[in-house]
Amino acid sequence: MNNTLLSLTIAILFGIGTFLVLRRDIVRMIIGLGVLSHAVNLLIVSTGAFSGTKAPIITDNGGHGLSEASSSVFADSLSDGIFAPVLEAGHQVDFVDPLVQALVLTAIVISLAMTAFILILAYRIYEEYGTTDIKELRRLRG
Amino acid sequence: MSIITHLPIIMVAIPILMSAVMVLLRKEPGIQKVLAVSVSFLLSIFSVFLLLQVWSGGIQVYEVGEWGKYGIVLVADLLSSGMLVLTSCVSFLALIYSLDYIEKRSLSASYYPLFSLLMAGLNGSFLTGDIFNLFVFFEILLLSSCGLVIANEQGGVTKSSDKMEATFKYLVLNMLSAFVMLLAVASLYATTGTLNMADISVRLSEMSSSGTLPWHVFAIALMFIVVFGNKAAIFPLHYWLPDVHPTAPSPISAMLSGVLIKVGAYGMLRVFFLIFTDTLYIFKPLIIYLALATIIVGATSAVAQTDVKRLLAYSSVSQIGYVFLGIGFGSVYGIAAALVYLVNHAIAKSMLFLTSGGIIHHAGTRDMRKMGGMVDSAPFMSLMFLTGAMSIAGLPPLGGFIAKFQLFDVGISEKYYFEIAIALLFAIFTLFYMFRAMLLMFWGEKRDVSEYGDYSTHGTSSLISLPIIVLAIAVVIFGIYAEPLISLATATADQILNPQYYIDAVMTGVVR
Repeated sequence: MNNTLLSLTIAILFGIGTFLVLRRDIVRMIIGLGVLSHAVNLLIVSTGAFSGTKAPIITDNGGHGLSEASSSVFADSLSDGIFAPVLEAGHQVDFVDPLVQALVLTAIVISLAMTAFILILAYRIYEEYGTTDIKELRRLRG
Repeated sequence: MSIITHLPIIMVAIPILMSAVMVLLRKEPGIQKVLAVSVSFLLSIFSVFLLLQVWSGGIQVYEVGEWGKYGIVLVADLLSSGMLVLTSCVSFLALIYSLDYIEKRSLSASYYPLFSLLMAGLNGSFLTGDIFNLFVFFEILLLSSCGLVIANEQGGVTKSSDKMEATFKYLVLNMLSAFVMLLAVASLYATTGTLNMADISVRLSEMSSSGTLPWHVFAIALMFIVVFGNKAAIFPLHYWLPDVHPTAPSPISAMLSGVLIKVGAYGMLRVFFLIFTDTLYIFKPLIIYLALATIIVGATSAVAQTDVKRLLAYSSVSQIGYVFLGIGFGSVYGIAAALVYLVNHAIAKSMLFLTSGGIIHHAGTRDMRKMGGMVDSAPFMSLMFLTGAMSIAGLPPLGGFIAKFQLFDVGISEKYYFEIAIALLFAIFTLFYMFRAMLLMFWGEKRDVSEYGDYSTHGTSSLISLPIIVLAIAVVIFGIYAEPLISLATATADQILNPQYYIDAVMTGVVR
């Protein structure tokens, strides 16, 4: 149920973002880009939360919790189809992948810089052209 | 532990450090100038060392933080280090050119720091072996190049509002493609559980050989075509390029057209021939036909241009199509031809953009209809433009001829007759639009002085003419003595088509 709601939220955010990016107003386009970046970030986080047999968190004793400490496999064995690190057969664990959260942090910082830059650019365009209508920006005949 | 083993990280870390130092030194233009030029020179020497090291000692892997394949690795194989040599030499020359071309205040306040950051982004995206890191370096590239497009040149031929408009288009389209890349990277991570490119390659080929390759890997590969296609401006995604490249100051146009769009071609070679090798049977024809469409659209649009830099920008669109044509053939000789083409186009097009900067400065306008008869008043610029135009058009003694000849030879020997026929037809268009520009600008009557004013009388400074001469010599050398470049390109193509070399070099690392 929760997964369905999360997927639905991401889908709606993508829809809103795409709609706003296609507007004629520059400020709405920028808001649309922000919404799209949040949709992408949510999608990345959502790929990290699942239950299964994979184990990315390694603590000092070689596991990611007391009960799984002895049952992790760290060596790849391609002939058996084992992509390390995984749990041995018969073990299962619920976890949240920390790597995707690190990825999202990086992506948020990057999109912060981009948004700051593009907002200043939009203000300069307003100063130069006296409008925020994207249809007026055709002096280059692009 | 000599300095040689640390070369990959040095190539990325020094420019990042320099950009911070340059901001601190903005009140000292003299020191900034010496420091920027010497560091850029040092980086090009280092890149040559790295290439020699890779040529003699095999693929160099540098584990940042010594986390093995779980951390970020910098991998210098022949493709990466070759691209590094190309970019650091072109950016060194562009930097020397811009010392005299960019307005002084803009130069010390923002130009030096952003140029260093651009070099860091380029070196990083060529060296990294981690696919999320590739995304981060792409963003560094994008933001620093946006700042550089807005930089003011001396004389102010391009209006400020034009720069804003072009940058806005560039930024919005590239932000959208960045989101697509993030989606693709996230899906790839969710599929394979790793971000290391060599590791992803191993896992995907394992899935493919056991027949469990998920269908969405094809969708991910298509997303990467969108991302790299947008960077390289291939057909449906090329509309930003003819606006951005002409409005940028000439040394930045040279960097954008010479090096930055090649990042797209590099990404295509790296990601498709390392990670998505098992999906290539679907995507090779797609790449070939997109490349043909790019050639046609670029060449036909370039014919009608009256703005000299806009013509060169459309020509870049057309020429990158030829590079992608070679990539689409996908054989050793096809990729080697694409690489030779890439290098020759990078050198000749940077040179043409630098020359166009001198021409614009001389004439005070970018409109070719308002020029004419400049062969008398600017003989140096006309000779250099002729050299570049001949190389782009593919006339015999110059580098462009070798590149085009090799590409068409490969196409014919691999029986792509229809594709080569179209490419050949539009190569004739190239000849036409390049020499039309030549005729309009340099030959004929001198322009109407009462209407447009006289040409500027002061000649070109040595800082502006030196980089152009160096690039012109390179164009001639690659035409007359092309064997070393061709053999390097063939070795590189061989390494690209055998991803096992790359995988073996990266995957030996263990967690310490």
